[in-house]
Amino acid sequence: MTLPTAVSTGPTLRLDQLSRRRAGRPAVQNLSLTLSPGQVLGLLGVNGAGKSTTLSMIAGALRPDSGSIQLNGADFLEQPELARQLIGWLPERAPLWPELTVSEHLDAHGQLRGLHGAALKQACAAIIERLELQPLARRLAGVLSQGQRQRLGLACALLHKPALLVLDEPANALDPVQVAALRTLIREQAAAGTAVILSTHLLAEVTAVCDRVAILHEGTLRHDGAVRSDDHAALERTFFEIAMNGHTHTARAA
Amino acid sequence: MSLLAVTRLEWRRLLVRPLAWVLAALTLAWLAWNFTLLLGGFLAGQIQNAARPDGPGFTDLVGVPLLGQLAQLAFLVVPLLTMSTIAGDRRNGTLPLLFAAGVPASRIVLGKYLAVLGWLLLWLLLTLAMPLALAHTTHIDWGKLTAATLGLVLMLAALAALGVACSSFASHPAIAAAAALILALALWGVNLGAQMAGINGGAINWLAMSTHLQPLLRGLVSSTDIVWFVLLIVLALALATRRLGTDRERG
Repeated sequence: MTLPTAVSTGPTLRLDQLSRRRAGRPAVQNLSLTLSPGQVLGLLGVNGAGKSTTLSMIAGALRPDSGSIQLNGADFLEQPELARQLIGWLPERAPLWPELTVSEHLDAHGQLRGLHGAALKQACAAIIERLELQPLARRLAGVLSQGQRQRLGLACALLHKPALLVLDEPANALDPVQVAALRTLIREQAAAGTAVILSTHLLAEVTAVCDRVAILHEGTLRHDGAVRSDDHAALERTFFEIAMNGHTHTARAA
Repeated sequence: MSLLAVTRLEWRRLLVRPLAWVLAALTLAWLAWNFTLLLGGFLAGQIQNAARPDGPGFTDLVGVPLLGQLAQLAFLVVPLLTMSTIAGDRRNGTLPLLFAAGVPASRIVLGKYLAVLGWLLLWLLLTLAMPLALAHTTHIDWGKLTAATLGLVLMLAALAALGVACSSFASHPAIAAAAALILALALWGVNLGAQMAGINGGAINWLAMSTHLQPLLRGLVSSTDIVWFVLLIVLALALATRRLGTDRERG
């Protein structure tokens, strides 16, 4: 079967009326979004807003209850194997196999994503160099610090040069220097045509790196618009308005 | 290819965990010690046995009993080896990484199962190497040894499938190991009560693993026994796949 490639002309990602219940309550409701190649979308929201559930569904780790996900024009729910080549995912807290070394992780992820032989070696070497993982290459994942785990998770997500990069709280546990390096890396990926969607609690992260911001509240999309790097205050106002009004509604309902 | 990638990943995880090496070292040392005892017994009774036209040979007195001991050890070794296959991934949060790589639940289960099975077959091969090392100095009943080996392969494959299934249902590897051990023992002796009551036929006997392994250890290969093991393997792996599919649905 031929998989749609990153050179497709339409949007990289299209979500249409995506819904998912978790723990008996709606976690995401009727979410519709599109993301074009090279665009960086920041997903904002308070805890429990549905950001991680949305990203898990986009990454293919969780099936939606209803709605559709299209990747480069192809139905992702009908062809979950699309995830293999087209998506790179860094989940929250970067889960790893503690008994494997950093380079073994990269090997395993590469093989799972269909890389083999010389192509795998080349991809591993390139990402190790890009993310400065050489000193950690032989270290067990179980003994890495949270920041190092995050970098390894990012390396695994980028290894196969995905068309869509899904990052769940990528700046977690990174020091300011690493955060700056992460921002550069995200912009680099976007410049190369990769669509990036990242969730964060940090408004500064969104203004620094994103072209667009989507704000989720109680599982629904409350705002979707362009980000102006010089107008942090406007984004903050919008975010707090949505977050506080939502809380007020909940309190009234209770 | 994703099946091979999962198998390689699981195989690598198995090889770097001390548990697999400790289990291999301890059990092989135990089996080697027992092999020397069995061999000693065989050599001591060799003249007497040679005088009897249908007396037991090297295969009956050394080869098959050694495999019987491996079968006993397997009840403990296999649950310990399989306990982390899926429960460990669930605990580490790494299971979604496999889902997100577009690997279907059936291939995740099968890939992990094949890795464990590979280790178990290596374990069996190393045990078999002990009697086979004397093949040039003694007479081996190849038919009987092959049937017993087939029985052991089927038993190990069935226990591994049961262990992987328990691991797919458990949230903690220790729970998976305990469940696999209890289920395996129950499956082995489900007919003991019936036998004590003097009932030696019927469905309850058919259900017991011992009913199907013992003829193979005696050199009798029957398609019924092979089918029983294959059914158990397919059922356990299908249950594990179904459970993993539910995991993906539930999140």
